Amino acid sequence: MTLAVRDLTIRFGGVTAVANMSLDVGAREIVGLIGPNGAGKTTFINCIAGVNRSVAGSAVWGGREILGLSPAALLRLGVARTFQSVVSLHDLTVLDVVKLGAAAHARRRSGFIAQFFGSERTFEDELCESLLKPLNLADVARSPIQTLSYGQRKSVDLARALAAEPQMLYLDEPVAGLTYQEGLNMGAVIRSVRDRFGCSVIMVEHKMDVVMATCDRITVMAHGSRIFEGTPAEVQTDQEVRRVYLGDA
Amino acid sequence: MTTRTVLIAAALAVAVALVGYEANRFWAYLIYAVAISSIGAMSLNLLIGFCGQITFAQGALIGVGAYTAGNLGNAGWGALSLLGAGLCGALASALIGLPALRLRGLYFAISTLAAQFIFSYLFKILQPLTNGVSGLVVKPLVLFGRPVASDQEYAVISIVLLFLSWLFLSRLAQTDVGRALLVIRESELVARGMGIDVSRTKMKAFLVSGFFAGLCGGLLAFTSRFANPEAFEIGLSVDQTAMIIVGGLGSLAGSVIGAVFVTLLPEAIQRLGELMPSADLVSAFREMAFGVLIILFLLLEPRGLVSLGQRLRSRWSGSKSNAGTAVTIPLRDRSRTFAMPAFNRRKV
Amino acid sequence: MTFALQLSIAGIATGSVYALIALGIVLIYKCSGVVNFAQGAYAMLGAYVTYALLRVGLPAFAAVLLGMVLMAGIGVLTERLALRVMLKAPIVSIMMVTLGLLIFLRAFCLAIWGPDQIAFPQIFPAGAIDVAGIYLTYNYIAAFVLATTLSIAFLCFYRFTSIGLMQRCAADNSRAALAIGIHVSNQVSIAWAASAALAGLGGVLLATLGGLSLGISDIGLIAFPVIVVGGLDSLIGALIAGFLLGMLEAFTEGMLTPGLEDILRRFTTIQSVGALQQVIPYALLVLMLLVRPQGIFGRSGTERV
Ligand SMILES: Nc1ncnc2c1ncn2[C@@H]1O[C@H](COP(=O)(O)OP(=O)(O)O)[C@@H](O)[C@H]1O
Ligand SMILES: [Mg+2]
Repeated sequence: MTLAVRDLTIRFGGVTAVANMSLDVGAREIVGLIGPNGAGKTTFINCIAGVNRSVAGSAVWGGREILGLSPAALLRLGVARTFQSVVSLHDLTVLDVVKLGAAAHARRRSGFIAQFFGSERTFEDELCESLLKPLNLADVARSPIQTLSYGQRKSVDLARALAAEPQMLYLDEPVAGLTYQEGLNMGAVIRSVRDRFGCSVIMVEHKMDVVMATCDRITVMAHGSRIFEGTPAEVQTDQEVRRVYLGDA
Repeated sequence: MTTRTVLIAAALAVAVALVGYEANRFWAYLIYAVAISSIGAMSLNLLIGFCGQITFAQGALIGVGAYTAGNLGNAGWGALSLLGAGLCGALASALIGLPALRLRGLYFAISTLAAQFIFSYLFKILQPLTNGVSGLVVKPLVLFGRPVASDQEYAVISIVLLFLSWLFLSRLAQTDVGRALLVIRESELVARGMGIDVSRTKMKAFLVSGFFAGLCGGLLAFTSRFANPEAFEIGLSVDQTAMIIVGGLGSLAGSVIGAVFVTLLPEAIQRLGELMPSADLVSAFREMAFGVLIILFLLLEPRGLVSLGQRLRSRWSGSKSNAGTAVTIPLRDRSRTFAMPAFNRRKV
Repeated sequence: MTFALQLSIAGIATGSVYALIALGIVLIYKCSGVVNFAQGAYAMLGAYVTYALLRVGLPAFAAVLLGMVLMAGIGVLTERLALRVMLKAPIVSIMMVTLGLLIFLRAFCLAIWGPDQIAFPQIFPAGAIDVAGIYLTYNYIAAFVLATTLSIAFLCFYRFTSIGLMQRCAADNSRAALAIGIHVSNQVSIAWAASAALAGLGGVLLATLGGLSLGISDIGLIAFPVIVVGGLDSLIGALIAGFLLGMLEAFTEGMLTPGLEDILRRFTTIQSVGALQQVIPYALLVLMLLVRPQGIFGRSGTERV
């Protein structure tokens, strides 16, 4: 399935955060969204994730208009996202959070009565095997989130999003706040996730080396619009991008 | 919750029920007083501790339960009157929770304060249902065709219902609904982003919480044979909130521990106070101690007695149990040196 | 008509005192984000302390002033000892601390002065003036004049002096205030001191109007809905809210209650509507919150993901 966003505009009072932004994402494609701070990347993601309202434009996912749908409805259509910074869900364990992710995808979840009376051992083992192992979280599956490192929390958030079996994944700054090595690992994890789950990815990120190594295609945003699009190599050599984003060196 | 926990709790319940059955009237009274408060405190903890919806209307809901059970019991409904009390409590709770679908945090808390005052007022003036300020006299609970007359029997009934309530609520906490409550507590926006239906989940919490508050009120009416408006004023809400804070927010076991503490404390002070010259002075002293204790607890042991217990246990079992868990990393470290508004806008 | 006017006079006089107390609640909320349920208890304690000072033989003026100073000290003490430690605590804990303080102070006054209402010594001249058939007692006039002048003086202070400017800055954005060199925690203490002192005076005035009793502390909880209607972060809103509450109380008691009871007696078995004036503000609040949650004068906040 593919996503096609056309001429999306978002305003907050007098501020136009996103102006006529367009973006295409193909099946199984990882698209990097970069741009200086305040360019409108988070606002853009929030809007196509059903959190912010748009003023104008359209976003078609698999032939359906998705602007205006709630996050829950989007999850049912296979669109999931992670959050820019990890919420401190103190008392929940890693498995709890991942189960909540799975709950958004009714097909994977047993009903209330079954949960209330039954044990979830087999489902937990399955989640461990399919999600937590690949993300290096199997050892901490039953630890509360508050005992994890920042990097681990980001992985938990990713695992939660993946538990809904998405076909489109929005990642808002998955590497920010991680150490250099953790960041490179995360890049590799994202590629392997794409290969395992066969989903498309939009990834907002600042760390250029991770973006270059991970993405198939890169879109550059400034002042709320797309100013450039191309392969990582093309982005690196483009003069305009250098000027607005990398600094006029 | 493991099978082991359930067995331990069941054994504990049986033991206390046996003690209650054999004890003299005073001890039986203490046991049912604590058990009944515990049911209320657990129901309140579901809202405040689990779901993050601060409410001051708990006293009103207990009152709704008490008057419902009293009227139904007097009309000969028997044990069904307790069920009725729970259902009416749930209904009233949903009504009070309705503004929570639009309001957050402080503003919702104040709307529940309003609800508490309005209900207290209605208890006083709705003569036909409540018998006004003079109070409603309640006949004993009729169970299996026989009126329950002794305090010992009430102790057993209360303990059994406490155990069942605990079992229900702790199972609930292990389902997707229970987990969703915790996410809503941290951030409604994130909960929505995770695909949780925030309004529905909140409403479920209000209904369940109200049911147990109503049940608590029903038991209160039957054990004290009386329901009067003064018993269900804001002071009861404060008592119940004190229980869950002293015991531990977001912990069912903590609710019970807090109920034990807050119920027994005034009794203990009353004993001490019998040396004092006047009854006014005793009650003043009791209230003062209560106020100071709430404050001290909040300052010194903000996570409640439950966390104190956990820390002691991990100290006893040495560093072994700590080895697996990493150090907590504060995400939003606010400096302690200056005052910040408590309602920070969060950027998630 | 004269009856309505008479009610308005009573409403405006008590309303001006409520405004004074409400001002303190809003000030504390603005500056430290704490909802102080103990504000009514400050008013009550201020009245009792002043009463004690008068009994010792201090002249009225000195007793009132000293009472306010003592209350300011208690305000600072509360802030330093309790609330400063609780910066990271959940809102419900902070609310409970102030409720605990309310319970403690009430019990404290009960222990010392007993449960019965006490006649407050005359600190204003007795008697009344008669304006076209409307009685204006000196008590009412004095309460109105004192409370209103003080409220306005306080607003001017907040608006025009440099301390007021620092206060506003600290309230608006404590981090930014800290960054430009304002000692924020001192500003918070000043806010608590001022609020407690204003409440103390308010308590004294209420005692001159209606006698001295533990019931004065109820005003803290009764004033809340009206303050929320005005907007928790708006000082002007608090003033208007205070007057509104006074009027509402007077008219409910004087006109609505008798009328309603007439109707109810005719059609139902209900004999009395009780203290209707105490719930009307709350009923109003519920309606208000559903229509405009941030109050009439408050600002709405936004949350971001
Ligand atoms: N809720 C909001 N209200 C007002 N302005 C906002 C809001 N959210 C974002 N903005 C503005 O929109 C612009 C884009 O912000 P954002 O999407 O966070 O940028 P990025 O993620 O690219 O750094 C910024 O100028 C920001 O101030
Ligand atoms: Mg961003």
